[in-house]
This record gives sequence, structure tokens and C-alpha cells, in this order.
Amino acid sequence: MKDWLEVKNISKTFDGIKALDNINFTVTKGEFLSILGPSGCGKTTLLRILIGIEIPDCGNILINNKDITNFPPNKRNMGIVFQNYALFPNMTVLENVKYVLKINKNSNSAAEKKAKTIIDKVGLTEHLNKKPHELSGGQQQRVAIARTLALNPEVILFDEPMSALDADNRLTLRKEFKKIQKEFKITMIYITHDQEEAFSLSDRVMVMNKGKIEQIDIPNEIFNHPKNTYVKNFVTKHLIDKVSSIEKCTGIDL
Amino acid sequence: MKNENKFFGISIYIIVGIFLFISIVYPILSVFINVGWSGLNELINEELFKQSLFNSTIVSFITTVISVLIAYLLAFAVNRTKIKYKKVLSIIFVLPMLIPSISHGLGLINLFGNNGLFTKWLGIDFNILGINGIIIGSILYSFPIAFLILTDAFKYIDNSMYENALVLGLNRWQTFRKITFYYMKKPLLSAVFAVFTLVFTDYGVPLAVGGRYSTLAVFLYREVIGLLDFSKGALIGIFLLIPAFVSFIFDLFSKEVVVNTFYNKKYTIRDNKIRDILFSIFSWIIVIFLVVLFGSFIYLSFVNNFPYDNTFSLIHFEYVFENGILKYIINSIFISAFCAIIGTIFAYFTAYTTSRLKFKISILFHALSMFSLAIPGIFLGLSYIFAFKDSFIYQTFLILIMVNVVHFFASPYLMAYNALGKLNNNFEIVGLTFGINRFRIIKDVIIPNSIDTLLEMISYFFVNSMITISAVSFLFNTKIMPVSLLINQYEGQLMYEEAAIVSLFILIINLLFKGLIGILKNKVNRRKIYAVEERIF
Repeated sequence: MKDWLEVKNISKTFDGIKALDNINFTVTKGEFLSILGPSGCGKTTLLRILIGIEIPDCGNILINNKDITNFPPNKRNMGIVFQNYALFPNMTVLENVKYVLKINKNSNSAAEKKAKTIIDKVGLTEHLNKKPHELSGGQQQRVAIARTLALNPEVILFDEPMSALDADNRLTLRKEFKKIQKEFKITMIYITHDQEEAFSLSDRVMVMNKGKIEQIDIPNEIFNHPKNTYVKNFVTKHLIDKVSSIEKCTGIDL
Repeated sequence: MKNENKFFGISIYIIVGIFLFISIVYPILSVFINVGWSGLNELINEELFKQSLFNSTIVSFITTVISVLIAYLLAFAVNRTKIKYKKVLSIIFVLPMLIPSISHGLGLINLFGNNGLFTKWLGIDFNILGINGIIIGSILYSFPIAFLILTDAFKYIDNSMYENALVLGLNRWQTFRKITFYYMKKPLLSAVFAVFTLVFTDYGVPLAVGGRYSTLAVFLYREVIGLLDFSKGALIGIFLLIPAFVSFIFDLFSKEVVVNTFYNKKYTIRDNKIRDILFSIFSWIIVIFLVVLFGSFIYLSFVNNFPYDNTFSLIHFEYVFENGILKYIINSIFISAFCAIIGTIFAYFTAYTTSRLKFKISILFHALSMFSLAIPGIFLGLSYIFAFKDSFIYQTFLILIMVNVVHFFASPYLMAYNALGKLNNNFEIVGLTFGINRFRIIKDVIIPNSIDTLLEMISYFFVNSMITISAVSFLFNTKIMPVSLLINQYEGQLMYEEAAIVSLFILIINLLFKGLIGILKNKVNRRKIYAVEERIF
């Protein structure tokens, strides 16, 4: 498949500390890419640069061969979903989505119709008139996704969207993400520090450490052929954790 | 859009920066530049100055101890016992905050003065003039502030701490020391500093009941109002600044004990009959005293010529109306309303820059805003003379509104700072990706989610502008005089009945305004609840 989103030679320094050091990678259209790494590895900075809230010191971002490095966030055709949802608390589910549409020059009736369709797609029709605080975390996150989908973005960026959710909700939401990705054919870039999440969701996984890319490949390759000890340790850590906790519970030496 | 947002952000910064500079930095600097430092030596060798400084310190110290103790007991009664009518009590306890400090002094004269109600009716011969009167009067108007601080603190102690203590088998004294006192340390100190600086810098109470007992603030007031010696006044003012400055520095460096739990379990009050009876009695003694005090204003307003002719009469009302009280009331409402509007807007946007924009200069803005808390009103008023005497705003409504905005800036600023800091920090960024600029986010999301706080801020500015006699006292002329200063005037002429009427009017206006704010708050909250219920059915 053809490279569609290209990130070239991106570097960013904060107060003398290199947050990103010469980052290069490409994404194909409709791909699900996870960026995996511990906190402080630069993944959030990368996300902020991709969405356009942060300007890189050097390097370029291209979509379809068009340089968007200096484009404002709303001209990039990207959406973002945060860990803490950032839903507007004073608005209902419907209003949250409608508001965004109306700001972007949809008439009231068109906005309402479109909003309802999208909310239906994420399965929240029965909660249309509820305020965010009346919903569960998983439901709120789905509203956030619906709101992002409203403007038909080509890329959705996720900033650790499940960190605040419990295990049950995570599993349901994972399926939801995949469904939405297939249905809307949207490119998704997904930031997480959770290995399991990254491996179960992604077409490819990118492992980051200290502002650099350690490895980027399909999950199987990373798992079976980690490029170096860092990747090996990082991706197998959760497995080791799991094994040892099973051992503890069962008393069986695995 | 990004540039537009940056432009909005920077414009807010510039406007807030200019406001803070003109209203705080520039006046204070002008005092320090223009004050006659050469007079300092003469001043500190002056007998009256030394005496006043000593008196102020003693009075403030004693008042602080008693006032904070009373406030603590009352806060305990309301939060940690099962006494009845807590809501009513809480309201009555803060009533003293709705009238000027000088009114409390006058109230004491109404009760204990040579011609006081108690003196005449009960034959109590209690010398109220002097240090006794100043201390009692200062306690009266300062304890509600400490009460509010401590009540707030009591509410934030998580009860699971107490349950843990119970499980661990800690006895009561240990529980108090390890939990209650641990969490109350900072609020208690805040209360101590707040009361001390308030009493130290207030001239209202000592002016009314001080007699020959001079305090520093009264000394300053007389030098400026009586002798028009601004330079000497400013020198004295610098001494008034000291305790406020100390508390400001302390506040800046002391760490808040953060209650680090997600949910706050309500405290379960244990049954204890004796405790409840004791605290009931104590609370009601305070209530009765306050009712009697306010009652004396009402009584004096409606008698012919106390104590000689106690028949019902409206003669004093006629007099104050002839004297144009209506005009001064309108002045005050005008000043307070504009102070409330302008002050709330500025405090809100300043808090926005410090809590949600977070450029490096935010720290400076935050420090400046908090510093305004440390400037005594009387010093602030004086500094405005130095800064604006030759400008067109001198002796206009504008300067009165401005000085009040600065004088009462810090508390509403803090309210907004806390409220805005708690709102999701990604609203603006999410907005950016949707093409919603910063101002729309403020208008459509941030403001609707902080209406409660905004109403509180408006209320604070309004009520305090209505009662203040300190910052405004050097900056008015008869055309723009606020009604509170009429009390000073009547006090000077020993017209206590008229002064009582003015105090009553101020109390009523403030009660009405507070009521209005209460109704609005209810409406906002009801709408929220109603919206929830609607969906359930």
C-alpha cells in the first residue's frame, strides 16, 4: 500500500531536553497505528505536533504529498480523542455533537440530523439528551468519538483514550474502535502505554523510547523479532507480569 | 485559527497586564517613590506614633486569639455537632460581614455607652470606650471571616480518615492531633493572619469606640483627613503594610495540605448530648448578642430622643432623608454594581490567564493578584491619591470603582482560579481541532460551567463595596460619596441614631442583594436538577 501520511525528520526540544529526536515514519490510508512507549518517551509530544498544537523545531508532516506542518489544527482534517474525554459538560450528548457541526457552518436542522446519525452509529441514541456526567466513562468516550467523527476527519488521534476506564469497558470500546475504523475507513493513530491494547488493536505498532523510534512493524514481527533488548523487555513485560500473577494466584510454577 | 487563538490569548494577557499595572503596581510604586522618607526619623520618635503602634499590636493580638477561638467553636458547632437550626445559625453568624466595621463600634456605644441601652436599662456600668470597646467591636466584625475559612476547612476533611483512625484504635486526642489538627493547621493560620491584618488596619471600630486610645490606623486617618498630611499618612501606611506583607509571604511559601482522595465521605457525627447542649448554648449566646446589636440599630432608629424621650418617632428618618441619604444610597449601589461587574470580569479573565493559559508571566499575574489581598484598604486609598491626584479620574466614580475592584480583587480571583483550574484542561485544544476559537469556548463552555462561581464573585464585590469605608475614604467628594461614609460623618457629629439608620439601610440592601444572588443560584442549580429528572421519567 502507498504511504499516505509521512512524518519526516521531526525533532523537538523543550528547555534543552530532546523530546523528539529525528522521527521518521509513514502511515498508509486507513491504517491503525499504535504508538507504544512509557511516559516521557515523547509520544504525547509527537501527537501534539501531528494535530498542530505544537510546532516542531524541524521536519515536515505530509498528507497525500501536501505539506501540512504549519497548518492550523482545524485545517488538517484530523480529530483528537483525549483520555479525559473533554466533552462540554453543560451540553447534552446531542448538543455536544451538534455544536461542533453548527460552528462548522451546518444549518440547525442539518446539524441535528447529522449528529443523530453519528450518535446512532456509536450506539448512544437512547442517551441523546443526557449530559456527560450522567454517562459511564465508556459511554462518554463514545460521545467524544462521535463528536470527532462529525467533521469527517481523515485521521483520528487517540491520546490514551482508555486509561480512565475499567477492564470491561476497555474490551467493549476496543471492538467499537475497530468497527468505526472499518466503517468510516479512517486512519487511526493510537497512543498508549498498554502493550495488550496496542497489540490487539493495531495493524502496526511503533515502540518509542527517549524521543526515538525503537521499532515499527506489525505486531507479530515485534513480538517474535524484537529489534533490541529494550523492545523485547518492553513488549514482553506485560506477559511476564501476567504469568507471575497467575503463578501467585494458582501456586503453579509456569 | 491557531493564530487567531494566539491573538486572543495574547490580547487577554495584555489587557489583564495593563489593568494590574495601572491599578496595583503603579499606585504602590508612587507611594514608595513620593513618600517623604526624611520624615521617617521624626515619625518613629513621635510619642503618639509609638503608642499607637503598640496599641494596634496589642489590640490585634488579643482580638485575633479570641476571634479565631470563637470562630473555631462556632465552625465546630455547625460542622461537628448535632445542634439544631444549623442553617439559620450559619446565616446569622455571617451577618456582621454585611455592615461596615464602624457600625459595630457604634453598635457597642448604643448598648454600653454612657447613654447606651444596657447602661440605662440594666444599669450595667461598663466602660466601653478604649481598648475594651475596640477589642469587642473588632471581634464582632472579624470572627465571621475566620468562621467561613474554618467551616470550609471542616468540610474538606475526608471522613474515611476518621474511620481509619477508629479502626487503628486511636483515641480522641490522637485523632484530633493527627487528623483534625493536621488538616486544620493551614486554615487556622490563614484565619489568624486574616483576622490580625484586618484588625490591625481597620480604623472604623477604633474611630467609633476608641476614645483616647489611639491605634495606628486611626492615627493615619486623622493625619490624612484632619491635617491633610498625605506624606506622613503614607509613612504610617507603610507600617500598616507589615503584617499583611508577612502573611502574604507566608501564604506564598506554605504548602497546602492537599486532601488527596477522589471522593469525600461525609463526616458522621457521633451522638453526644452534653456536647450538643454546650455548643447550642454557646451558639445561641452569640446569636442573642448579634440580635441585640442589630436590634439596637432598629430601636434607636425609631425613638424620638434616647434616653430622654423614648416615644416612637420617625424624626431621625426624616432627618437623614432631608440630608440626602437617598442620593448616597444610589451612589453606593451605582459604585457597587459597577465594581461587581467590572471586578468580576477582570478577576475572571485574570484567573483565566493564570489557570488556563499558563505562559511564564502567569506566575507574576498570580502573585500580583494575591498581593492585592495584602494591601490594607486605607493604604490603597492613600496610594491612589499619590498616583491619580492630578489625573482626570480623581474624585470621580471611576476611581472609587477602581479602588474597590483592587481592594476586593484577591478573593473573587481565587474563587475563579480554583473553579477554572478544575475544568477539563483540553477544552481549548479540542476546540482548536474543531475550528472553535478560544472566545467561543470561553463563551459556550467555560462560562456556562462556572456560573455559580461568577455569582459568588459578583456578590462578594457588591457587598464589600457597599460596606467599605477604608479605601474610598480619601478619594470622594460630596457629589460621589458612598453611603457608608455617611456613618463616619454622623459619628463625628455624635448623631448615633442617624448612623444606626444608615447601618440598617446598608444591611437591608446587602441582605436583598444576597437574597437575589441566592435565588439566581437556586435557579441555575434547579435547572440542572430538573434537566436530570426530566430524563428519568
